[in-house]
Amino acid sequence: MSGSDSSRGRAALDRAAARMLNASVLQRLAIATASTALALVVGLVVVAAAGYDPIDFIANVFEGAFGDDAAVSRTLKFTTIFILTGVAVAIAFRAGVFNIGVQGQFVVGGFATVMSILWLAPFLPENAVGGVGLIVLGTLAGIVAGGAYAALPGVLKAYGGANEIITTIMLNFIAVGVVGWLVEGPLRGEGNRAPNTERIPEYVEFPSIVYDSPDFSVVGLAVALAVVVIVAVVVARTRFGYDMVTSGHQESAATYSGVDAKRTIVTTMAFSGMVAGVAGAVFAIMIQGYYSDPSGVGTYGFDAIAVSLLAANNPVGVVPAGLLFGGLDSAGAHIGLNSDVPVQLIDGIVGLVVLFVSAPELFRMAAARTGLGGDDR
Amino acid sequence: MSLVENARGTRVRVGIAAALLVLAAVLAVQLDVPVADIVTVGFIERALQAAAPIALAAIGGLYAEKSGVFNIGLEGFMIFGAANTAAFVWFFGGESVTQGDLWLAILASVAVSLVYTVIFAVLLIRYKADQIVAGLAVWFLGLGFGPFTAVLLWGNRNSPRLASMNDVTVPALAEIPILGRLLFDASPLVLLTAVLAVAAWVFLYHTRYGYWLQAAGENPEALDTAGISVTRVRYAAVLFSGAMAGLGGAVLLAHAGSFTGTGDTMVNGRGWIGIVAYLFGNYNPLGAAAAALLFGGLDMLQIQFQTAGIQLPNRLVNLFPYVAVVVVLTIWGSTRMPSAVGESYESEE
Amino acid sequence: MATSKAQTSAVRLEGITKRFGDVVANDDIDFTLERGEVHALLGENGSGKTTLMSVLYGLYDQNAGTIHVDGEPRSFDSPRDAMDAGVGMIHQHFQLVEPMTVLQNVVLGHEPTENGLVDESAARAEIEEISSRYDFDVDEYLDTPVRDLDLGTRQRVEIVKSLYRGAEILILDEPTAVLTPQEVEGLFDVMDELTAAGRSLIFITHKLDEGLTAADRVTVLRDGAAVGTVPADGTTEQELARMMVGREILFDRQPRETNPGDPVLEAAELRVRGDRGLERVTDVDLTVREGEILGIAGVQGNGQTELAEALTGLRPVESGTVRFGGEDITGMSRRRRIEAGIAYVPEDRQTEGLVQDYDLVRNALLGNQTIEPYASGGFVDWTAVREHAENIVEEYDVQPPNPDTEASSLSGGNQQKFIVGREIEHDPDVIVAAHPTRGVDIGSIEFIHDRLLELREAGLAIVFVSSKLEEIQKLSDRIAVMYEGEFIDTADPEDVTEEELGLLMAGHRHEADDESAADATEDAPEGGASS
Repeated sequence: MSGSDSSRGRAALDRAAARMLNASVLQRLAIATASTALALVVGLVVVAAAGYDPIDFIANVFEGAFGDDAAVSRTLKFTTIFILTGVAVAIAFRAGVFNIGVQGQFVVGGFATVMSILWLAPFLPENAVGGVGLIVLGTLAGIVAGGAYAALPGVLKAYGGANEIITTIMLNFIAVGVVGWLVEGPLRGEGNRAPNTERIPEYVEFPSIVYDSPDFSVVGLAVALAVVVIVAVVVARTRFGYDMVTSGHQESAATYSGVDAKRTIVTTMAFSGMVAGVAGAVFAIMIQGYYSDPSGVGTYGFDAIAVSLLAANNPVGVVPAGLLFGGLDSAGAHIGLNSDVPVQLIDGIVGLVVLFVSAPELFRMAAARTGLGGDDR
Repeated sequence: MSLVENARGTRVRVGIAAALLVLAAVLAVQLDVPVADIVTVGFIERALQAAAPIALAAIGGLYAEKSGVFNIGLEGFMIFGAANTAAFVWFFGGESVTQGDLWLAILASVAVSLVYTVIFAVLLIRYKADQIVAGLAVWFLGLGFGPFTAVLLWGNRNSPRLASMNDVTVPALAEIPILGRLLFDASPLVLLTAVLAVAAWVFLYHTRYGYWLQAAGENPEALDTAGISVTRVRYAAVLFSGAMAGLGGAVLLAHAGSFTGTGDTMVNGRGWIGIVAYLFGNYNPLGAAAAALLFGGLDMLQIQFQTAGIQLPNRLVNLFPYVAVVVVLTIWGSTRMPSAVGESYESEE
Repeated sequence: MATSKAQTSAVRLEGITKRFGDVVANDDIDFTLERGEVHALLGENGSGKTTLMSVLYGLYDQNAGTIHVDGEPRSFDSPRDAMDAGVGMIHQHFQLVEPMTVLQNVVLGHEPTENGLVDESAARAEIEEISSRYDFDVDEYLDTPVRDLDLGTRQRVEIVKSLYRGAEILILDEPTAVLTPQEVEGLFDVMDELTAAGRSLIFITHKLDEGLTAADRVTVLRDGAAVGTVPADGTTEQELARMMVGREILFDRQPRETNPGDPVLEAAELRVRGDRGLERVTDVDLTVREGEILGIAGVQGNGQTELAEALTGLRPVESGTVRFGGEDITGMSRRRRIEAGIAYVPEDRQTEGLVQDYDLVRNALLGNQTIEPYASGGFVDWTAVREHAENIVEEYDVQPPNPDTEASSLSGGNQQKFIVGREIEHDPDVIVAAHPTRGVDIGSIEFIHDRLLELREAGLAIVFVSSKLEEIQKLSDRIAVMYEGEFIDTADPEDVTEEELGLLMAGHRHEADDESAADATEDAPEGGASS
């Protein structure tokens, strides 16, 4: 009885698993979930091995991510930035260009936003209207700066053959160094003890709706989601998106269809950098209100790589992946205050997620090994 | 790969290097820079010390890539190497660390790096992980778990002052001007790096294993039909690359004397620079070591500028190596990678 | 032992059958290689020559049949096994490591060592010995990287490598395909030396004259089966061509009217370089007019690909001009040419013609990104594209008839029908079709042929590249034969025989036409003149 039941159950499970392995969207979702779960498990093992209570740790993670309004607004704050930087990475990866430089583009974009707002503020009225104007102009400046800073390695790759992985990483260091020097010296706000620029005027801010938080506004999240929609439309419904994605899938077919491969590399990088610039602008306006030494602003641009990979480089998938990472970061902030477990563990778990995502074959083989998915697989 | 083969490429590289030197010289004269104050014996010594970790990682990385696997995780393995060495020093030596403890810690750290690399290699080769993404993951893991180790041990991302490697002084010979100080009153780790670079060169070009390594990355099928397992060769090369990067991190720590885990950690891009060093060195271990020396020298310029009284902001001078990397890659971007890099290989059998 | 060896054949294959899925690549083939002979294996592309030899060399397992080497039954699991039994194979794609030197390549995997280092002087001595014994003439290149050698020398290095590893039996797979005529001479000399020393050679080729010149015996394969084995002395190229092509004519040429209109696509003194920088198209002139099919016949790899790519804008032209409707389009981009009405059915449907992991809807847009109504103002109208895909699937009988199918899951014939449909449907003025029926099932071939003929009736200009004689004859209004980058002759499909065409494709010029080295730009097409 129970035997036949279990074998029937097993058959159903097999069919489900087979479908999962065949259907690519489901499969990616499964791999993303499995990667995250496995990474968390390994993280818990490390916590236990280091002599802490893993139950306590996981409880802290959930509490820190979604425990109360403050936790939720903190999670959404990080999520906003992760969605934007994640989409920036996804654009490039979809097109087969490895833009590891989103961090640098994010920094340059955010810095450009702050400086342009500071410079333009005297020319606009000091009220909400002027504030909106400055937000728009500042964001545009961030977009231009981020896009240009990304186009540079694109040009170097397309026309100089320079490997974009390495040049973008170097440009990250250079962005951090140069902006760091600028806020330390030439552009430090008058009388500031810390190496920061001056604050942008108070009326240049997103309104507080729903959550009363000084560094999160639903408007920021809405901007991020709007960018997701725009990028998703560009990727799925425009000629440019089709050319870009086709280049990433199969360059020879793209060339056959009349796509200029080199120019596509440059435009892809620029597009990716522009979105990173939006991320920088939102970070600067919504979270910081000034620009500080970028070596301390957080590694949103790097973690974005994990966000994008987890979403299989799909702009819409970036939203849940960004939420996951926002939750993790928010939990990290909570743990830093309420637990002895070093918060760096969260960074390590991010690394593990990326590691597991890189090897889908691992899960496929595991699925095959356990017999799930049936024989025809 | 013979000397003849790369004669042309080498000439171009040497040409670029010479042009840069001439440019630097012209600038120096034009701007009235006190060259003698900059290029001192101390500077060369510091440059050698700075170059050693980069050179070690570069040699490891080039072996992996020669065999057909792009180990982009060098930076991460270096971070692990440095953090673990610091941990072992603390563990073995506690408050009073001897030079013996330090050596032991370096050895133990390399052994741990090797274990990590086994996992990495299995993911890459057996499970055909995306080499770029997996390599980035190693970096993220280093950035997370390196400082994590530090916080666990010392409650801070930075370690306290531990111990640094003493120079080995050969009594009489150390008195020889210039060379004496560079060779006979030098860090044993610099000398070790030099020995390893030469050994790696001999091994690659003059042993059968070196032949196999080159064939595995260029035409795995040719190696396979010659009856040699491509997979084994690649495993060996990747393991070596992880161990060398780990050693690079260990050497970095042993010279610095304490672990820094803030920002991008004390490794701070040296693993990435290592990749460019071997590209610029055209996959030749000696060329890679020379390129590492170039980057090491750039890294140490700020101290020279300070002592020579040249006012340039530290933060900008610190960027010289990164800028140099971008320039080098752009001028020399079309470096020919081994043809089979990044492709997993399945034997016909 | 030596006597018994001398009595047995070097290789005896009996009843070898090899199937790939439903396709029978080798059908019950018997083949014997005697000691000290050169035995040519002759057949058209796809006749099963390479498959048969891959079975012998341990690359494939046969479905049926036995292998004897030196009289002993053997079964090789890998090339390594075959090599250990003294069987070496020189592939068309050399198994050489380009940046490594000749010496390193030869000893790879079998390096003599001393104190842990490779004993280069011992290796050198042994290679020099082999080289001088057979007049290989590779001594001077021992320290040269393979990358810097010409193809003929590389081939000799491959042979030296096999001999260094102790090969008694050598399989040469299309060894002359990449060689210049002088290098071919050199290769034949080397083959003589080897057989004189008692080695046995199998020489895979599709060139009749080479089979006759170099071999002692010739075995002809056709459609996966052995047609017969004849001694090279006492047979003629005509006889071999007949065996190779067979009597059965698959496709009948229908009588037709020929009324070519204005020239649509013209090329003059076209020179094009291939991927390796070598000139692959030399001084080609061609004209194709409204309502005619210009067939370009030739054995694969004689520059047809490069020519097609140059005409369609995928490959830059070294010199010469391309004109379309009278306008010079030599420098025009691929996209502009698509927009202007130049369609291309690419040779490689897998990597170029389709994006494998796109469904058919998304593939229907490939090449049409700037064409109304599928796209306008930078936006894609997926409804229109889907309709387009549905149309193609229906009109061109693509199976399964579901536009949401991923391209990679379609059979070759259905992939090709889809591509042909897509290229034709946006109403081009000229179609360049490169090997549109290669690897396509018989039903789809007929279908594609019929469509091309319909388009011709409708007034399109068609450039049709193929290495299959029957279809070239069936479809073309004029035939240009391409050999080593040149149009060496033109033929009238009405009165040329397949044997004659086969000889032309093997590089034999018409005796009579030799003087007036023809091109394909005759003012009055021959077909038109005769009607």
